[in-house]
Amino acid sequence: MHISSSAREPKGVAASASEQRTVASPITLSERSSTGLALLRILVGYLWFQQLFWKLPPTFAGLYEYVVRESQHAILPGYGALLQHTFLAGCPSLSSPVGCTAFVPLAACVWTAELLVAISLLFGLFTRFGALLATVLAVQLYVGLAYTEWIWTYGMLVLLALVFVAVPAGRRLGVDLWLAPRLQAAGQRHRLARIVSWFV
Amino acid sequence: MHTFHRGLLAGVLASLMLAMFDFVTDGAPGNGFPAVLRWFGITIADSTISRLSGFLLLIVLGGVFGLIFGVIQRGKPITTGRALLTGLALGVLWWLIFELVLANITNHASSLFSLNFASFLSSFPLAALFGVLLGAIFIQWQEHHEPRQPS
Repeated sequence: MHISSSAREPKGVAASASEQRTVASPITLSERSSTGLALLRILVGYLWFQQLFWKLPPTFAGLYEYVVRESQHAILPGYGALLQHTFLAGCPSLSSPVGCTAFVPLAACVWTAELLVAISLLFGLFTRFGALLATVLAVQLYVGLAYTEWIWTYGMLVLLALVFVAVPAGRRLGVDLWLAPRLQAAGQRHRLARIVSWFV
Repeated sequence: MHTFHRGLLAGVLASLMLAMFDFVTDGAPGNGFPAVLRWFGITIADSTISRLSGFLLLIVLGGVFGLIFGVIQRGKPITTGRALLTGLALGVLWWLIFELVLANITNHASSLFSLNFASFLSSFPLAALFGVLLGAIFIQWQEHHEPRQPS
């Protein structure tokens, strides 16, 4: 335990409190905990993987209904209008994406992002990047759809993704097991490698 | 632990992960197991027996691929990169044999390599994942039981 010199000087209540303060010992995950988190990562990756199939290219038609719902129920002011002027621009009908000018290219971006999340989490490949992307996508879903379903549905998706941003779960049962030491070694010499190493 | 045994156990565990996916799928749990039987042209009318047999066959196949993985290592410690690559190659082989060729034969498809995008997307990543998991489990055990190899 380390206590600073200023904390040793009695200065009323604040000083007493700082005297009692202890330094938290560092937390190291055991091998079993790391492997358990890796298993959770794979299952969360599978969750994202499964959701690719009801909005397959080339039409991404399954996504349309949800974008329409988001545009009507968004909890963030202006978000609905943003969707209407991008994804839903020029759409003649709220029931079918036929005739929409920008829906297919933008839906392709969403689908590709979800595919990247699924691959990243399933394979433990740049896991933290995948989790960060998953967080962005899940926050977007929360903003648009939170009040159309059980309020925690998309909230839990955000929280799940944040767990894998915080913990490097790809370094067990994943490709990051191989990538991480290489990027960390290269990061000593190259700034780019150091930045990339944040994502494994 | 000998590399054969380690490979066998890694294959069984990796195939258990594939089996677990069948319990978090849409529809009834275990719906995907009869498809494993169909790779070999086997159909069982009783759905419970069909699912159980499919599950067991999946585990056996995982064990066989794990044994092949162990045999390829020839009893020597290997690097992380080699383990993951060998596993990935076996995963691709799994996909080619079972999900593509055997599935096309039993479905009487026009070609052995007949494939559409949705079928590829639903089968290839999971077969590749099986391979990567096989390699990753193997290498984690090796690092646990033997002196660390350069990765």
